[in-house]
Amino acid sequence: MAERRINGISAFVFLACAVFGAWLLTLSPVDPPWILLGSAIIAATHLITVPAPSGEHLYLGIGAATAVPFLVDDLATFLAILALGMAFAWGVFVAQRNEHVFAGPHFLAEVSALMAFASVVVVVNELSPRNEFGDPTSQLLPVVTAGIVWFTVRALTRSLVGLEREDLSARFLWLLALEDWAAIVSLFTSGALFGLAFPEMRWWAILLALVPYAFSHLAFVRYHNTRVTYGQTIRALAQIPEVAGLATMGHAERTAAVAVAIARDVGMHPDEVTELEYASLMHDIGRITLNEPAILRAGYTDEDLARWGAQIISEAPFLERVGTLVKEQHRPFRSVGEERDETVPLASKIIKVASAYDQAINDQMLSPLDALELLHLGSTYDYDPEITASLRRVISARGDLHPANL
Amino acid sequence: MNQQNIARERRVRVNLAVSFVAVGAALVISLLVNGDLPKPEWLLLLLAAVAFYFDWSAVEVNDHLFVSTSALVQITAAVVFFDSNPVVAMVLIAAVSLFQPADFRERRWFQPSVNFGQLVLTAAAAAFVFAYLAPETELTAQNLPQFVGAAVAASVVHGFVNFTLVQFILKTVYGSSHVRQWSNMLSITLPYLGTGALAALLGGAYRLIGAETLPLIFVVFFVSQMTFVSYSRLREAQDSTLRGFVKALEAKDLYTRGHTERVAYFSDLIGTKMGFNGTRLERLRWAALIHDVGKLAVPRDLIRKRARLSGEEYEQMQKHVHLVEDLLAEVDFLQPMVEIAAHHHAHYDGNGYHGGHEHPGTPSLEARILAVADSFDAMTSTRSYRVALSQEYAFRELRRHAGSQFDPDVVEALIEIIGSRGETYGSPDVDSEEEARERAEGIRLDG
Repeated sequence: MAERRINGISAFVFLACAVFGAWLLTLSPVDPPWILLGSAIIAATHLITVPAPSGEHLYLGIGAATAVPFLVDDLATFLAILALGMAFAWGVFVAQRNEHVFAGPHFLAEVSALMAFASVVVVVNELSPRNEFGDPTSQLLPVVTAGIVWFTVRALTRSLVGLEREDLSARFLWLLALEDWAAIVSLFTSGALFGLAFPEMRWWAILLALVPYAFSHLAFVRYHNTRVTYGQTIRALAQIPEVAGLATMGHAERTAAVAVAIARDVGMHPDEVTELEYASLMHDIGRITLNEPAILRAGYTDEDLARWGAQIISEAPFLERVGTLVKEQHRPFRSVGEERDETVPLASKIIKVASAYDQAINDQMLSPLDALELLHLGSTYDYDPEITASLRRVISARGDLHPANL
Repeated sequence: MNQQNIARERRVRVNLAVSFVAVGAALVISLLVNGDLPKPEWLLLLLAAVAFYFDWSAVEVNDHLFVSTSALVQITAAVVFFDSNPVVAMVLIAAVSLFQPADFRERRWFQPSVNFGQLVLTAAAAAFVFAYLAPETELTAQNLPQFVGAAVAASVVHGFVNFTLVQFILKTVYGSSHVRQWSNMLSITLPYLGTGALAALLGGAYRLIGAETLPLIFVVFFVSQMTFVSYSRLREAQDSTLRGFVKALEAKDLYTRGHTERVAYFSDLIGTKMGFNGTRLERLRWAALIHDVGKLAVPRDLIRKRARLSGEEYEQMQKHVHLVEDLLAEVDFLQPMVEIAAHHHAHYDGNGYHGGHEHPGTPSLEARILAVADSFDAMTSTRSYRVALSQEYAFRELRRHAGSQFDPDVVEALIEIIGSRGETYGSPDVDSEEEARERAEGIRLDG
């Protein structure tokens, strides 16, 4: 979808939220200032992002929204707070984003997920005879069900508006949930805790819910930052052979970008994708050895390079698996007269294809199509045709095969 | 350390362990005889299990987290059982914390026995303070602030007694040099204020709302703890990755093998001696670890060259070193370390090589420490063209250049700390460059 269209839709949704919320405001038995305070809190908490382990950013807003069903006595107030809250949140999103990043997609993803959350809470309260608004302890079930729907709808919308990959599979959603459950659970739990505690403990409930949450928030931020710097460290180290003039500049980075895209395309587990990313960044690290003139004189093979690289990487105990992937990268996916060699790791085959593609383009100066042709020619032993097919999808999505680039 | 000292230390340890266990056990038994178990028992068991879990899987995070989990669970228990028997609840839960995985792994007997007495005494002191200050009436939203006050007081007492007992144990066993200064007291007590307030709220939530709050609270703490574990694993991974690369660099060259680790060790010694701690010490250690990574990109024959490098060769070497430094400086958290490493060739008086950049003036203290550590190890380890020089020679050289090339304070700190640790580096009696070179020639001719 074009960005302008998304921004148009989000402006429309904002208007709808504002009008719907204002109408509900007149129906609710609660004084308007309280409703406005609630919705202002929901909007304000959308200023705080929570870095989830997968690298995705969540908003504290959903935590605040979780508390609402525990605190209200009737349907109109509940929906009024959420609708007006999202209308205010639109302002938050627009104010926060600069001209390069459009607020529209982020707002649409959050608002549709929250509306789904609200609908499920309402439906479960209506359907189940034991659940009703005004009874805080009966709200746990609706909130848990709604939370699952919230997560799914959010991921789907993000994919639809271009914040996430386009072809969302059930497996991808599951993997995402597997990675981010900790952040999501702590948001929902803290919201529920506040909702349960507020009627009894009044404003102490804020501390009760916020302090434990602050610990998990701190932990997520730390984890996220370390993950970023760890990636940076590996990137920096991977470029040492390049700055030493022993490998082509930028080869590691470009290979990793293609390799990760292929891995996502074939549906690898996120942990494996990270391993593959590190392995493809460092797949030529063995070339450091080539600044030993004696080795240059004696000559070397691809297998030697792969082995030396693996030796260097294996010095770091946490990268053992990455070392193995690098070591296996030179192996053909099947040998003469044999069926496929299932012992070659998928990630190593991906590195081989991604690296060869980049070499064809940047060392041999071939066009993307000619590079693909070269890989197809090697499809008997060297390059697994399934991965080459995936490469084709990846580079065509990236625009490499666009007539202007050929 | 001589035989007599070892025997003395052992005797002190046994005495201390026996008396702490005896006092702790006497206290627990007398409490159990004179009072009932807090009700409901299942909740006591649950809290003990939670305390055990968090203590058992505690992670070392190298900074101040404003909470002590065992104190948190204990004081929460005191609030939960405020009207049955807060003292017994706290003491029993404290006793659970004595199990530490490291003690089991290393089959230690001293630490757990002393810890038992220490934990029980600390908990009892805090519990009595709480029981004395907490209101006698039912816990309601109105008098919750009074409970918060009592819990905060108990928590501070907990921190204070804990600190004092640990100091006492350290002083008795290891002598006064291992005692932390009382000025640390404030930074140690401060987190206990927050711990106490939070514990009161957690306990209050259980009393006011009911048991369904317990799993909610536990989940949030569990998630934070789990994320902190992944975080510290990731940091360790990052640490070991850089170390691995340094190792890979050194493995190729017999003569620089271990250089980086030794420089990191010396820097650490000097840094500690000069009062560094926490993040600053860690930054110095990292700077030492990466101070030679730039050489990964330099052709080996240049590094190994016996003769002096020509101007052109030197230039080429420095170019490569800078390229790697620029690469590493792009890593956010390494940037300050790269800065230190880049300046470790700069002289104390502002002359000398400043990492290729025009940076007149004195280099940072960290860079000065790194310079001394680097030069000391360079002199006292064997190179391709000479054997290692003696430690006395190295000290003399460092002192001779103190004030011009090296910071005199740093030089004295190194000499003092190496002397007081009784460590010796370098060959015993090689007292000049010429002799070292001749000996190297001799070895090569013979070999």
